Amino acid sequence: MGHHVAIVGVGQTHHARRRTDVSQAGLVREAVDRALADANLEMGDIDTVVVASGPVLFGAVNHPELWVANAIGAKGKPIFRVTSGGGAGFAGALAGYYQVAGGYAGRTLVVAYDKLSEGPLQYSISTLYDPFWGREFAVGIMGFSAAYWRARMDALGHTEEAAAMVSVKNRRNAIANPYAHMKKEVTVDDVLNSKPLCWPIKLLDVPPISDGAAAIVLSNEKLAAKSTQKPAFINGIAYCCEADNAAERSLMLSEPLALAAKKVYRAAGITNPRRQFDVVEVQEPYSCFELNYYESLGLCPPGEAAQLVASGATDLDGDIPVNPSGGCMGANPIGAVGVVRLIEGATQVMGRNESNQIKDAKLALVQSGGGWANLRGCAVLSA
Amino acid sequence: MYSAPESMPLDMPTFHAEISLPYTLTPGGAAGTFLAEMKNRRIVGSRFANGEVVAPAQDFSASDGEPMASFVEVPQTGEITAFTRVDGTIIAFIKLDGCANEFPHRVLGDLDAVRIGQRVKAEWDDGVENSILAIKGFVIAEDAAVGTVSDLPEPEEAIGSLDYALALPYEHAYGPYYGRMFDEIKGFGRVMGVRTADGDDALLPPREIDDISHTPTGTWKTCADTGTIRGCSIINMEFIGQTKKPPYVYAEIVLDGASTRLIHLIEIDDVEFAKKNIGPGTRVRAIWTDGERKGSMADIERFEVIEE
Repeated sequence: MGHHVAIVGVGQTHHARRRTDVSQAGLVREAVDRALADANLEMGDIDTVVVASGPVLFGAVNHPELWVANAIGAKGKPIFRVTSGGGAGFAGALAGYYQVAGGYAGRTLVVAYDKLSEGPLQYSISTLYDPFWGREFAVGIMGFSAAYWRARMDALGHTEEAAAMVSVKNRRNAIANPYAHMKKEVTVDDVLNSKPLCWPIKLLDVPPISDGAAAIVLSNEKLAAKSTQKPAFINGIAYCCEADNAAERSLMLSEPLALAAKKVYRAAGITNPRRQFDVVEVQEPYSCFELNYYESLGLCPPGEAAQLVASGATDLDGDIPVNPSGGCMGANPIGAVGVVRLIEGATQVMGRNESNQIKDAKLALVQSGGGWANLRGCAVLSA
Repeated sequence: MYSAPESMPLDMPTFHAEISLPYTLTPGGAAGTFLAEMKNRRIVGSRFANGEVVAPAQDFSASDGEPMASFVEVPQTGEITAFTRVDGTIIAFIKLDGCANEFPHRVLGDLDAVRIGQRVKAEWDDGVENSILAIKGFVIAEDAAVGTVSDLPEPEEAIGSLDYALALPYEHAYGPYYGRMFDEIKGFGRVMGVRTADGDDALLPPREIDDISHTPTGTWKTCADTGTIRGCSIINMEFIGQTKKPPYVYAEIVLDGASTRLIHLIEIDDVEFAKKNIGPGTRVRAIWTDGERKGSMADIERFEVIEE
């Protein structure tokens, strides 16, 4: 790629279960104002804009990027919307990255959001299934995800207790996150005894449903100095997919994530992820997913995720802290989450994370994705 | 790369589907105030720092992105800047007096009387509140005086959320592969897939190209009514759009003779029993509907666990 790309400004809303004081566009505006102020820039300094959000059925507004463009003062700028399920924000960041890396833009604003309080979530998600094949029996992503977990339980030892530990850890970490709205410590027993929704997934394995937006300013190396002395460089970023109904699809490892990680690690010179990364941020719409990511990202060998979380290695004071921000368990505005995770990773290596700064963090791994396992990506950030 | 026979458009039966969703939309401060003031028969606009007035009220200026400075009441008179007729209704862009923008609404009157620059005034619909349709439309008002914008220091509190609904009907074309599969289901009560180029197991749903080898698929094959669960979960929650009352098991099943999974349901009486006895590897059988088969996966009513 031609240009090095850095995150030079970040902003997110104080996420909430329901924001009735702002419209979708007003919500986006809050995150954009914060990101531009953080980057010491105005909208006039921005060359291109990427808007990312979940399915239009979430909010019943088609082409929401036009509404957003008006509300953020982006009139006349190149703008387009990216959507990719839960990975929408991350895919938007990737689209922005390409623009800056390729030299098309000096600075690109990526803003991602979802206002999930407005429409029926599981039903909207179920429409991603082929209308002929499976939609009438689909349970959003949750039914599918629980089925994957059930299969991994037998083969990889991803027990209900191990997933509960993920939920306990992330909910504890979220308490220090000023942008989270779910801040309540729970115990492993609380999780195990919570109401089964799609067993083995139980209520406390699932994050809250949130309204929220997040924005980052991506800049080339030359222009970065106007914004900050310590940008967070993107050393590698990739996002891969698999085919829904293909034969031989594994229920165990997330193949798209393993492919993305391989590509990103090569670009960033990562040969021993467990040792090299100081901090990891992952998008865990269900606690069981985080166990799968440990293995797909090479933080531990397949079958050892339960031991990894039980050992405390992924706690704040462990050798490979995962989700010091609390991850999705603190707030889950789905389409925004990919950008939220990038923000949390970037501010860690910039040394100014607002949740739980990991001391001297230099190298961060960020994961995000959509679907049950079929759209997955990751990025490596360094200061 | 792939050679397909020449084909002509054919008029084939379609698969009807409907997506129907309820919403609670949030208009935000400006639009929420505009809507709240509809019941007072006032049209609320926004004044911006640069002096521009926009109606209906907007949180941010579309021209420079600045947040609005204050609410104003704008005149109920204005002029038509563009118009068209849709299904007998005249839709026009209306520029209210003193405002910088225009917005679409109905014109109540004869198309012959409508022209660009035509003066109009709002007519209210007594039965409607909290909606821009509280303005029934705009009527021709040739001699209406040009109104002025006035301050509105204490408007109604903004409406936080509004109920809304979408109902979207679709007619999906099956295509030749889904078409035959559902014909076989409807006509003969059997699930058919296509073989991969180099194997005997069938791909479900059937398709033209194998996803793994990227080669054309082979011949059709009937799969058994029996199969094995690969993954499953016990659905215990209710949600909008659900076709069956919980609890039940959502299962991904590989039919005997197939290599890919299909999604279906298993009825259960007892959650604890299902946790222990239904899981990956469990053998199941399709139970077809007693009624007339319609040609969809729902013609299999459910799967049930079998002992072997």
